[in-house]
Amino acid sequence: MKYYLKLGLILFIFCVVATGILAYVNSLTAPVIAQRKATEEKQAREALIPNAEFEEKESDQGLTYFVAKDPETAEILGYTFIAADLGYSSTVQTMVGVDSGFKVLGIRIVDQGETPGLGANCTLPAFTNQFAGLAVEDIYVNKDGGVVVALSGATITSRCIANSLREGIIDVQDEPEQGGEQ
Amino acid sequence: MSFIKQLSRGLIKENPTFVIVLGMCPTLAVTTSVINALGMGFAATFVLICSNAIISLIKDITPSKIRIPVYVVVIAAFVSVVDMVMAAYVPALHKSLGLFIPLIVVNCIILGRAEAFASKNNVIMSIADGIGMGLGFTLSLSLVATVREIIGAGTWLGMRVTPLTYDPALIAILAPGAFITLGFLMALMNMLKEKK
Repeated sequence: MKYYLKLGLILFIFCVVATGILAYVNSLTAPVIAQRKATEEKQAREALIPNAEFEEKESDQGLTYFVAKDPETAEILGYTFIAADLGYSSTVQTMVGVDSGFKVLGIRIVDQGETPGLGANCTLPAFTNQFAGLAVEDIYVNKDGGVVVALSGATITSRCIANSLREGIIDVQDEPEQGGEQ
Repeated sequence: MSFIKQLSRGLIKENPTFVIVLGMCPTLAVTTSVINALGMGFAATFVLICSNAIISLIKDITPSKIRIPVYVVVIAAFVSVVDMVMAAYVPALHKSLGLFIPLIVVNCIILGRAEAFASKNNVIMSIADGIGMGLGFTLSLSLVATVREIIGAGTWLGMRVTPLTYDPALIAILAPGAFITLGFLMALMNMLKEKK
């Protein structure tokens, strides 16, 4: 009995030391990681809508979006947000920028884990570039009657991206300060 | 046994993938492209060298009855530290390897070498074993990935190597392709071994 208690105690000590080290390293690195992530997202936003000031907001549906304003005239240049939806085998996150008339300026796939060679091709410019200039009502894949040409063999991925974008844009459009009706 | 000799054993004679048949999950999962294979291989090599060294150092204070949980704690803690430090200070490298780091925790090569080698040998030899096994793992992953990427995507390391008229056989980079390729490569290895 005593022997087993001793074993348990030794294992406990190992775990305490390991936890202590992890807690210490985490306290050192967590702020650095958070700051880097914020910078990266900021850069991605600025690439979509250059020369603008961004203001963070949250919609009624809980979507975090950024209003891009001209730093001098405070005129609204557009909006950016990250749309996310379940694809074929992962959650696909897409950063999108729209102009003040809610036409798509450009999109970038931020995170995805779709099938290599099929759904994962959604990160290629050949797919993402076709979204530029589209209005809300066009953002459906061709099978659903829209103008987005779905990736071959990956209609589910393409549809998930198109739908998440469309829903996100409608969500931002409906915000009261954007002139939407409540 | 010399440092170099121990190091070279992991490369061919005791190759972790094709001879010891350890670490099949990462071998099947990440070999869709050569760059992924290299990333996984080097990340695993780094963790393997360090975990082998630490486990060899603590072998005298680890009671044999609880050695496996102790190894698991050491490896998991070490991998988490590597993950956090890389995310904070070398983000570019973390972006390309980040996906594989959590996978290393469950890579049985690491635990296998801790149990079979590092717990019975000194630090220097354990490091040699870690380097050898890690590079052997990287080598075999790259080999499987080379076959799969060329057949399945027509590229190697992202560069097109097949004529444009070649229509890539997608099955090679999907899950069944992993099993088929691994089977053929293992058969080839055994054939070469028997000829000797």
